Amino acid sequence: MKQGPVRILIGKVGLDGHDRGAKYIVHVLRDAGYEVIYTGIRHSPKEIVETALQEDVALIGLSLLSGAHKLLLKQVTDLLKERGAADILVVAGGSIPASDIPGLKAMGISAVFTPGTPSQSILDTLAALIGARQQAI
Amino acid sequence: MTEDPKELVRLVREDRNQRVRAVARLMTWIENDPERMPELLVGAADWPSARMVIGLTGPPGCGKSLLVDRLITAWRAQNPVGRIGVIAVDASSPFTRGAFLGDRLRMMSHATDANVFIRSAASRGHIGGLMLGVRGFVRVLGLAGCQVILIETVGVGQNETEITDVADLVVVAIDPGHGDVIQLLKSGLMEVGDIFVVNKADREGAAQLHAQLLSVLRLKAQGKTGRIPDVCLVSALHRRGVVELIDLFEKRAAAAEGEWQFRRRHMIFDEVKEAVLEESRRRILQAVGREQMATEDFQRILRGEVTVAGLVDEIFQRVIGTSIHKVEHHG
Repeated sequence: MKQGPVRILIGKVGLDGHDRGAKYIVHVLRDAGYEVIYTGIRHSPKEIVETALQEDVALIGLSLLSGAHKLLLKQVTDLLKERGAADILVVAGGSIPASDIPGLKAMGISAVFTPGTPSQSILDTLAALIGARQQAI
Repeated sequence: MTEDPKELVRLVREDRNQRVRAVARLMTWIENDPERMPELLVGAADWPSARMVIGLTGPPGCGKSLLVDRLITAWRAQNPVGRIGVIAVDASSPFTRGAFLGDRLRMMSHATDANVFIRSAASRGHIGGLMLGVRGFVRVLGLAGCQVILIETVGVGQNETEITDVADLVVVAIDPGHGDVIQLLKSGLMEVGDIFVVNKADREGAAQLHAQLLSVLRLKAQGKTGRIPDVCLVSALHRRGVVELIDLFEKRAAAAEGEWQFRRRHMIFDEVKEAVLEESRRRILQAVGREQMATEDFQRILRGEVTVAGLVDEIFQRVIGTSIHKVEHHG
């Protein structure tokens, strides 16, 4: 298939409504040439996964500040597997303790960006992840 | 999942479990390679197609996305087993090619409804805001069993006329607070509406805008035959006037169904034409690449060795193989 601009979904799962970080990331990605679907706040993992399928995104980026990241991200990766879409990458950002990161990686989260991560380093990581995914397909 | 369009079409038709992904993939294929669409459509003569394709346009911020959300809710309540598709177009950046696709945010309450398929699309530099790919999207949603398709355009106002080529019925939404009656008299947007929606009816100035719009439309219709567009006052926010709008769609559909079917059959001609134009545009842009212009050709203009008109003709000859003047004579 001919490659067009890469599509990314940015959203927030669970009940926290602080979307400044998510909106900032949307702008950074847009300016880097991505087509970003922004779903807004307070969505369930199922809503995020169904949206990602319809939008045919390469990557889902979820912002979590609530502390419920382990449970919610697990639900997202499980649902993706259930829907035969485990090839869609999932990354997370927000207030996530460093000690939780290995566990999140083990459940299939490709990268975790904690507060203070420079936007360029996020872009570099995403480009590498998406590049590797395209090669695999 | 496969990337072969023919195989994807088969999956949409036959594999319930993979249908959503196959539809989405097929749309990506169309979007990335629109000039190859006729290839796909060769086999599409027997595809099911939607009963109604509604285009929704209007200036940014007038409430199009929320109106789409409310239309889906109301239509799904009336049609518990019906399937509805939405194409929501937002602008691409002409500088970075990136896009912030935010229409869908207003429609998230339907995210888990298996009978609603929503797809955001970036305009990817096409002037009217509607890319060739939208036609393909409409066909694919038809194949996926959608009876009704709603297309929400970018909403850059006065250029948004391409939608009339794709939709059976065009709805133009406006809202109070953006200029006076002079805006309603301008060309473009105000000419494409089969139905006008004055949204945000809950706000100050809506009744006045409604009255102005009615008088403008009556003025335009004077001495002409044909239908005067319907005008509806709607408050998408408060869900007022939405069911009435759907009733109006149905009335229009019942009155014009034969005509719509006829138009659809002739769309294949437009599709081929647009694919050819798209490919030509691509090749011409390739031939007059920015860097080449900036160097030698541009220097020649600065040195006075060639006029701008002369250079245009030169480039034209390079691409088309004949002089611009010759083409005009033949044309």
